[in-house]
Amino acid sequence: MPPEKGLKMRKVVIPIGPQHPALKEPESFNVTLSGERIMAFSARLGYNHRGIEKACEERTYVQDVYLVERICGICSHTHSTSFTQAVEELAALDVPKRALYIRVIIGELERIHSHLLWLGIAGHEVGFDTLLMYSWRDREVVMDILAELTGNRVNYGINVIGGVKRDLEGHHIKDISKAVDTLEERTKYYIDIATKETTLIQRLSGVGKLPHEDALSLGATGPTARASNVARDIRQDDPYAVYSELGFRIVTDNHNDVYGRTLVRLGELMETYRLIRAAVNNLPEGPIAVKAPRKIPEGEVFSRYEAPRGENVHYIKSNGTDKPERVKVRAPTLANVQTVARMLEDEQLADLPIVIAAIDPCFSCTDRMITVKDPDDSNPRGIIKWDDIRSYSIGLYRSRGVDFSLLNKKLAEKLKC
Amino acid sequence: MLTDLFHIVIFPGFLFLCASGMTAEYIDRKLYARLQNRMGPPWFQPFADFMKLVSKEDIVPDEANPSMFRAMPIFALTASITAIFYIPLWHVNALYHFNGDLIVTIYLLTIPTLTYFLGGWYSTSLYSKIGAVRSLTQLFAYEVPLLMCILAPALLANTWSLSEMAAFYTNHKWYWAFNMIGFVVSIIALLGKLEKVPFDIPEAETEIVAGTFTEYSGRLLAIFRLSLNIEAITGASLIAAVYLPFGLELPTAAGFAVYLAKLLFIIAIMSLSRTVFARFRMDQMVEFCWKYVSPFAFLQILICLIIKGVWVR
Amino acid sequence: MTREEEIMQGLIKKFPAMEGKIRVRRARRLTAETDQAGFEEIFAYAQKMLGFTSLCTITGLDEGQTLGLIYHITRTDGIVLNLKFSVPKDKPVIKSMIKYFPISDIYEREIADLLGVQVEGLPEGNRYPLPEDWPRDEYPLRKDWKPKSVFTSTARSNAAGEGVKDA
Repeated sequence: MPPEKGLKMRKVVIPIGPQHPALKEPESFNVTLSGERIMAFSARLGYNHRGIEKACEERTYVQDVYLVERICGICSHTHSTSFTQAVEELAALDVPKRALYIRVIIGELERIHSHLLWLGIAGHEVGFDTLLMYSWRDREVVMDILAELTGNRVNYGINVIGGVKRDLEGHHIKDISKAVDTLEERTKYYIDIATKETTLIQRLSGVGKLPHEDALSLGATGPTARASNVARDIRQDDPYAVYSELGFRIVTDNHNDVYGRTLVRLGELMETYRLIRAAVNNLPEGPIAVKAPRKIPEGEVFSRYEAPRGENVHYIKSNGTDKPERVKVRAPTLANVQTVARMLEDEQLADLPIVIAAIDPCFSCTDRMITVKDPDDSNPRGIIKWDDIRSYSIGLYRSRGVDFSLLNKKLAEKLKC
Repeated sequence: MLTDLFHIVIFPGFLFLCASGMTAEYIDRKLYARLQNRMGPPWFQPFADFMKLVSKEDIVPDEANPSMFRAMPIFALTASITAIFYIPLWHVNALYHFNGDLIVTIYLLTIPTLTYFLGGWYSTSLYSKIGAVRSLTQLFAYEVPLLMCILAPALLANTWSLSEMAAFYTNHKWYWAFNMIGFVVSIIALLGKLEKVPFDIPEAETEIVAGTFTEYSGRLLAIFRLSLNIEAITGASLIAAVYLPFGLELPTAAGFAVYLAKLLFIIAIMSLSRTVFARFRMDQMVEFCWKYVSPFAFLQILICLIIKGVWVR
Repeated sequence: MTREEEIMQGLIKKFPAMEGKIRVRRARRLTAETDQAGFEEIFAYAQKMLGFTSLCTITGLDEGQTLGLIYHITRTDGIVLNLKFSVPKDKPVIKSMIKYFPISDIYEREIADLLGVQVEGLPEGNRYPLPEDWPRDEYPLRKDWKPKSVFTSTARSNAAGEGVKDA
């Protein structure tokens, strides 16, 4: 048994959060410790409550699509898809097949991006920063693809009520296949690390136990539940978009611990690559959107979506106007956060960050950082200064016929007055 | 008198150690970054960090004990600098030596860890206190194997003086090859002493922010960080002197180059281990040290005793 | 007969009062309305006998004179039952469903905070999602509530007392 058990230390309550290096979003956990062992745990959520549900009631459906997309920085497509498919059901719209395929492709790319991000965080939480650096480097590949397809690295804004906004073209499909091939190879390498690297396995296995029965009774969803051998996946149980045509395997694991959750997410990545390939290969021809009415007929609808973190649900009630009567959102983290207290029973302080991180609590990542390689390599370090980027981008847009200098002049004159 | 002052302040004392400590930090960070597929910092980054910290305000928490809080970084720095004077660096003789300086050096190198404990304890923040207790717990785990495995080469050389040990290994070439188990064990112990991954438990940022150093800022933090860098150099020098005692009879310039190469080797090993390992948990670390590292240190002593009985004399 | 209809018939057989109040919206979606008195019995029956093993969420609605509460419960085969009842707005008291689904704790706190429903049987605990210094009689999701400045300097300073505590 751990020798430090004999160490007599007064019971202390240590605050983790609302601001703490282990948490990437504000949440507050109070942990009572005896030595290194966790005796009690309590959570206080809601620091990120922005009143989006109330705000949705005061905006039109079209505006709401963009608003709900901003609920989360990582799974933004999740929220906008479940919202749009709910509204489409209310308005009885027949969304074109091609649009649904594109939604699936973006959604699965988002899953890759989310799972790779999680892998990095998990590495960081156990002090294995190399894994963080590697998986986030690879995450760039999928973020670049998403930026190419939609114009944005996060908050893609591709969904509109009745379809999608941008079409996939031949070169996009080539780029997607190339990226998926690269990522598949790298993921195999990570699976190799996860199953062979001893210190990593030691830190992950046996930690944050969530037995099968508890996962069921506490209502865990997503990879957290699947790692406790609960084969539950909305994409299969309650298929939306075109998942019923694509066919895939639910990845489960019976380790019931953080290690199992890692394996499930890595396995899901491999499954996702297969899904994307299938979707890209079967992409039907046709229009990408139908026109949606401004006013949505009266009714209520309950929409479910398998987000990277678990089940995401939207409930929408309409009253026949162009604004919804009620929009209710439940993100997967809310269902999973309940399991954390169970997982932390009799664990050590050192395991707290990874156990919390293992349910993949959702946090916003809105930073947009860029490193631009100098095309003619006159700059040996390959980094362009901020001013150069700025003038480069102004030049680029001017060459495309967008000129802001006139507007800027007008603005300057206005400011002078 | 003047030469003594020169030794203490400039070479191989304070200034040299500051410069080499910062260089070591740069090499460590750059290697770590390159191994992780990153750019890494420019060469002057450690110096820039130091200057930035020095130019900032010292904040002493209201509830901390101000005198202890301020004194601890100075103690850490002094102890890690003093230790260098008894270690033979690139010549058989250290600057100062007497029979028993081996033990003094080891204990001087223990003082920084004690200051981390006291500094953390007296800052009264919860994170600091937990970090402090952890660094002390860790000390008990790695200090015993370190002492045992440094004892072994000394037994073989039949002396308690580092300089005489160096002389012995210079006269009996290749005898140092018997001590390789000890070399590995002491690298592990040094990782623990310097609180580097996988033994950075006392300052695990995702659990307890920065452990002992959570409340430290400005000059005091700068001094703590400097003392950690210098401790890395002194620790690596000690390991080089005890386990890699070759090239000491060379002329000064060549000997100095060999010494730097040894330091670089040891620092590179530490960066590599930082890259490939995840952080241990406290219980895993203690278990690892007592169950696996200590027996190996003991084995090293046995090997040395047997060799001494069979070959030497 | 589809699975959805089976469930519907099963419920009507057990609770004849449900006749006409339960509908199959589309594949895998059932909606049912009940009164507050009969709700718990139906809820427990659906969980124990009909295989609705997980509670997705609880939605609270402001319907003018009443507050509507929809319990979305699901089966593993993807069927969702939206079970609804209403409580009068001037006396919005409901029972906690914690003994059926431990997870309902956080959803009940949410409707208590945002709609002002009083939940009986909810253990002591933190508020969710509004801050501790949010006035007790301001319920943002009610239709008559409009965003305004509810923060006063005293409310803010009262809330600042939280922090590091030794036990």
